Amino acid sequence: MAFALALLKGDEKIDDCPPLLEAKYKKNYDILKEMLGEEEGQKKELRIDVDTELCDGCGICVTVCPVNARYCPSSLSGKAPDYPPESHQLFQVKNGKCELLHLEYCRRLEAGGRERECRVCESYCPRDAVTIDYQ
Amino acid sequence: MEMIVNTVRILEHDQAKEHMFGDDKSLKENVALALINPENLKGLKLTSNSNIKISSQFGSVILKIIEDENVPIGIINIPVSIWANQLTGVENDQLIYKNLKVKVEPSNDPVLDFEDLILKIKPN
Amino acid sequence: MDRVTCTGCSLLCDDIIIRTDGLYIDEIIGACLKGKERFDQITAKNRIINPFIRKNGELEKVSWDEAFEKVLTIMKTSSKPLLYGFSNSSCEAQLKGIRLAKKIDGFIDSNSTICQGKTLNISRDSGMTLTTISEIINNVDTLILWGLNAAESIPRLLNKTLFTRGKFRMTGREIKTLIIVDPVKSSSFGVMGPRDLALFIEPNRDLELIKILKDECCTADSIPSGGGAGLDESDIRRMLQHLQGAENAVIFVGQGILTTQGNENALKELLELIELVNIQQKKGRISLVMVGGHYNMAGFDHVALTETGKNQNLQFKNNQIIKSNDTIISKIKNEDFDYTIIVGTDPISHLPHQLSSKLASKPIILIDNRKSGISQLADVVLPTAITGIECAGLAYRLDQVPIELKKLVNPPNNVPSDEELLDQIIERLSKK
Repeated sequence: MAFALALLKGDEKIDDCPPLLEAKYKKNYDILKEMLGEEEGQKKELRIDVDTELCDGCGICVTVCPVNARYCPSSLSGKAPDYPPESHQLFQVKNGKCELLHLEYCRRLEAGGRERECRVCESYCPRDAVTIDYQ
Repeated sequence: MEMIVNTVRILEHDQAKEHMFGDDKSLKENVALALINPENLKGLKLTSNSNIKISSQFGSVILKIIEDENVPIGIINIPVSIWANQLTGVENDQLIYKNLKVKVEPSNDPVLDFEDLILKIKPN
Repeated sequence: MDRVTCTGCSLLCDDIIIRTDGLYIDEIIGACLKGKERFDQITAKNRIINPFIRKNGELEKVSWDEAFEKVLTIMKTSSKPLLYGFSNSSCEAQLKGIRLAKKIDGFIDSNSTICQGKTLNISRDSGMTLTTISEIINNVDTLILWGLNAAESIPRLLNKTLFTRGKFRMTGREIKTLIIVDPVKSSSFGVMGPRDLALFIEPNRDLELIKILKDECCTADSIPSGGGAGLDESDIRRMLQHLQGAENAVIFVGQGILTTQGNENALKELLELIELVNIQQKKGRISLVMVGGHYNMAGFDHVALTETGKNQNLQFKNNQIIKSNDTIISKIKNEDFDYTIIVGTDPISHLPHQLSSKLASKPIILIDNRKSGISQLADVVLPTAITGIECAGLAYRLDQVPIELKKLVNPPNNVPSDEELLDQIIERLSKK
């Protein structure tokens, strides 16, 4: 999982993974090469964008984000987190729209070695207002 | 052509919201709309942003077309508003504002302003 | 920081944080867009903070005394008032409205009568199993939206009910199943996952589906092989399995099933289906939640029932409630009134054109905090404070739980609350 995230960020290249070079994983190797294409190895930053035109402040991202859940346990039962926000709180609904607060604490980037390819904010948003991208 | 009209609530197309933050122009632009599936538009030889005349047993209204692929074929979604209510009515003392049978045709006439509809309700 | 209650819709979220200086609300944390717009009403373009009377076709600012004089004149020269609205008012104001109607031999009803009040009436025969939001968060494993586009009418509903991890549903979304019954792929479908069930029923065929489910409930026979109501046999079978197998299910009913031509019995049959399943089930149960838009739609039914024994269509004569088969619709349609008092609502935007015209043909007294369609036709406009923001009061949430609303800021120009205003009218009537 950590390698997958590192590939997306451009910190590693596909050839840096010895098992992938074995014959039995050639198909996967080829798929990865095609997916990353010329951008393989290019340094990229994670971006999580919230389209404020689409967002209606439903707060689903606030409730499902695992980082929010860990640092603001009240959000587990749907309660809006405290204000001012917790130091690690990722999402907050302010003035009717969702706001991303501390991208650096996203579970994709920083989880003490247990980073995950987490996309719950993007996949659960009913209006597709959240997009995860590497640029 | 015959279709079915549903009056619906949509956050972005809300008469009360326009009264609060918009003006008569934005009210008409954001609320006097008919959301129709693109397949229906092809059949009617109409395009998004052109006008359509919709007539029910209770009345008729001219609205601007907005293409919406989430609206099923044969159905028109209209935001709840004074425009939508030109089509709704009463039957057996019940309000009819969903599954309303209507006839539609293209129109070159303009969409009426809010003030025009108020005058229709109470000519001064 | 203290938490306040939002009055944007009938979910009455009580976890909102605001930053205010006593006059304006600068920041709102936690409320959805609908809630934010409710807080914005304080400074909205169409806010009214002075009384108006229509003179020579135009609304002219007047003093409170002059406005009350005009109101009393209309009342004294008429005998059949209609009072309508009240779903945006506190329970205290609703009670005053009923007492005013009693005093002036009026017919009073609220927005609930064309919305969730219908469900209440139909439930008299079959009964109704209710539930609360807390129970839904902690216990429910199956949610059904029937004819309701929750994402548009109550934006935080799905967040609070489907995505939360309750005491007995700690795995949250993964353990909960969502079933949506709707002819249109509304924005609520955006939260559907692989284990959920989308039933794109054909318009007006809810009754057919409910009847099939009712038949199957008692026996294990096969569902019609061609399916029904525009749905596949396999989808109907899955729906039945969820209904019978759920440990704790809740059905949210919306406008889609409340108002359909030739489909009036759908709601009655649905309530009977729910009770049937509940009797059969040894472990599970299904509850119902009536969903209204306005934040205190449920309140009027409670207040009216307590005060008069009837929840809607209250006709008063000689200080007593009398039997009446009229509804607000029939009263307006038959022009069986000679003036109206509209409180906190805009009939022009939600009533058919023919009814609006009939309302407009007689004097209209409007009591509200803002201008809207109806204010263009009103003869007297009396401004009030925004309940839950500029004045306190009680409201009933969509799960019938009473919630205390607090005053957060002072109302501009010291405008009275709905309750105070109606009280003043009653007092002035008593004096003369």
